[in-house]
Amino acid sequence: MSRANSATWLRQQRWAWPTWPARGLARSLPWLLPLALFTTWAVGAQQGWVSPQVLPAPAYVYDTLKDLAISGDLWANTSASLQRVLLGYALGTSLGLVLGGLMGLSRAAEAYLLPSFNALVQIPVLGWLPFALLLFGIGEPLKYALIAHAALVPVTLGTLQAFRQAPVKWLEVGRAYGFSRRQLVTGVVLPAALPTLFTALRLGFTKAWLSLVVVELVASSEGLGYLIVYGRQLFQLDLVMAAVVVVGAIGYLIDRGFDALERRLGAWRPV
Amino acid sequence: MKAYRGWLLPLVALGAWWLASEYGWSRSGLWVSPQQVLATAIHEVASGHLWVALGASLARDLSGFAIGAGLGLALGCVLGLSALGNRLLGPSFNTFKQVSLFAWIPLISVWFGLGDVAKVVFLSLAALVPVVVNTADGLRNVPLPLLEVARVYGYSRWQSLTLVRLPAALPSIFTGLYLGLIYSWLATIGAEYLLVSGEGIGNTLIDGSEHFRMDLVLFGMLVIGTVGWLLNSLARLAERRLQRLYGTF
Amino acid sequence: MQANSLVLDHVSKHFTQPNNGAALQVLDDIALNIAPGEFISIVGASGCGKSTLLRLILGLESEFEGQILLGGRAIRGTGLERGIVFQDHRLFPWLNVRDNIAVGLKNSPLASAAKQQVVREHLALVGLERFAEAYPHQISGGMAQRVAIARGLVNRPSVLLLDEPFGALDALTRARLQNELQRIWAQENITMVLVTHDVEEAVFLGDRVVVMQPNPGRIKRIVDVGLPHPRQRSDARLVALRDDVLGDFLDA
Repeated sequence: MSRANSATWLRQQRWAWPTWPARGLARSLPWLLPLALFTTWAVGAQQGWVSPQVLPAPAYVYDTLKDLAISGDLWANTSASLQRVLLGYALGTSLGLVLGGLMGLSRAAEAYLLPSFNALVQIPVLGWLPFALLLFGIGEPLKYALIAHAALVPVTLGTLQAFRQAPVKWLEVGRAYGFSRRQLVTGVVLPAALPTLFTALRLGFTKAWLSLVVVELVASSEGLGYLIVYGRQLFQLDLVMAAVVVVGAIGYLIDRGFDALERRLGAWRPV
Repeated sequence: MKAYRGWLLPLVALGAWWLASEYGWSRSGLWVSPQQVLATAIHEVASGHLWVALGASLARDLSGFAIGAGLGLALGCVLGLSALGNRLLGPSFNTFKQVSLFAWIPLISVWFGLGDVAKVVFLSLAALVPVVVNTADGLRNVPLPLLEVARVYGYSRWQSLTLVRLPAALPSIFTGLYLGLIYSWLATIGAEYLLVSGEGIGNTLIDGSEHFRMDLVLFGMLVIGTVGWLLNSLARLAERRLQRLYGTF
Repeated sequence: MQANSLVLDHVSKHFTQPNNGAALQVLDDIALNIAPGEFISIVGASGCGKSTLLRLILGLESEFEGQILLGGRAIRGTGLERGIVFQDHRLFPWLNVRDNIAVGLKNSPLASAAKQQVVREHLALVGLERFAEAYPHQISGGMAQRVAIARGLVNRPSVLLLDEPFGALDALTRARLQNELQRIWAQENITMVLVTHDVEEAVFLGDRVVVMQPNPGRIKRIVDVGLPHPRQRSDARLVALRDDVLGDFLDA
């Protein structure tokens, strides 16, 4: 209760702006910077401050985006990318869940596997790329392998951690009521692990999406990343920017989706 | 405890690899033996190639990290300490960090070329994001009870900033720097890979890949992994020091 | 004589409820005169507003009806003449014991040598000279609370406010710290206002015991203990008084 007053004081401590004349002004503040940037961009392009080859006008980028959408190129490339990321993610996640679950439930498995896993994790996706290129060639398996690898790492480590952190106090409750090992796993360890597990799955998808872009930048003939490279090679920055906008928008939407899912599923929180 | 069990898998893998190359199970020209990789490693180290490449990569990494972390601390302080700053810049920053970092590379290459400037710009962006997020979080989440103590003893705004908020936020700020260091190392490899020019450990990998030299590729991976591991351990050591000092809140 | 008396002049306090904006009364017409050097215990069940009352005196909350006067002047905000010991010790985890005590002296007019001297004296007062270099996470809860008491006293405040200072400690540590607080109070000769839900603690330490009841928080009665310090826990008169006050809560 007494927090009310302290919170006021806290706000003052955060160098708050003196009371705003209108609420609307406060609400519009976050739009100030993007608006200023956009205006500079639009005016700059119109006045020819920089060459359109270096910075195309926003209207131009918008037209390109529209053309891409109408011609069906946008959809074709987006669906190619989505297909890749989903398959790679499914692959990496299943493997990660199995590996992490195995190590989480068995100390022996952890002792045998974890050190090697930790060693391999030190090499980032981009470090594996040349190796995988030589191994798989430039085709689709390469992309699946690298995206799966990107998702595998956080999912494995997250699963392991999720199973490990089932608090001893709850396990003891289960034991006091004579739970079998199986009951302990399904009744205590799994529910306790769920929130951490979800975070890991989410992080895994973020990583998978990130490496999709990288992989497509380096080696592909279709997909959003390819669109970016293609535009770059032809010096069509409008194409590059349009593709970047789509990549960002999809990443944002997926993040929102996970957020909504988490809120819906997150029935319990650590007390 | 029973640390030897962790060595079993790598040893078995190494043994199988050696056997496979010894008895020629694979005819592929890409299949190299452990001895070849070792020979390449010795050659790279002895000829000085490794040091030139590694030195160039690390110099880039550290300068990018320094710039990104410096800007990140400043921006994080603005977001964490000023309500106005947070309203003005927070949403834009959160949108920006959603865009996959690597998607910026083609734009960066147009604006800054393929040289070191472009790479350092990219690296600083990679280091900037986690530093900003954690600095702002740390400063915002200083426990209210501790701030009340400052108030009881009549601390000025400056005193409660330097004597309470900053020290309380320090572990979080440190986590941000630690993540920034890792991110910028990953980005170093990425930048060398995608903005091809000059020396660097990433370029060693590309050379190996282009000339179908698996031995060089494997050696490059080994170096990248080792450097990442070293940076990781170094940061973790410092973090543990800090934690020992702080205990738990 | 009344120079540093603490007067609560018909103090009431309302909170605005965040969900519906309605006013909720938490303190109703608290009137109390506390003499300099007196030990006042305020006892009540949780939710009776006793901690809020302490925060008003401390100056963390500034909106209330009525007046709080210290030495005849209305208090405004926090001030170094009022010290506080919180239930959660609130030591800074990044400072050692000595520096945590010195936190209270940051804005004191003393010269730095004098500050060091004062910190040393207070380390001795709470018996922690050997732990000056230790960090909060390295010492026990009882020791941390003694550091908090020392921090509350370094400015030689005329009033020390104690907000359930021993509430989180085990019974044995609590009894020892109560004895220690009694000794410190006698030695320092300052006014102490102790808020607690432990009736035995209230009776054992207080010259007077203010019994509060909730909804809205108000004074039910004030019990004059009237026994000289230092006291013995087993004193039959204390036990009888304790049972008497406990009766207030069991009836209700």
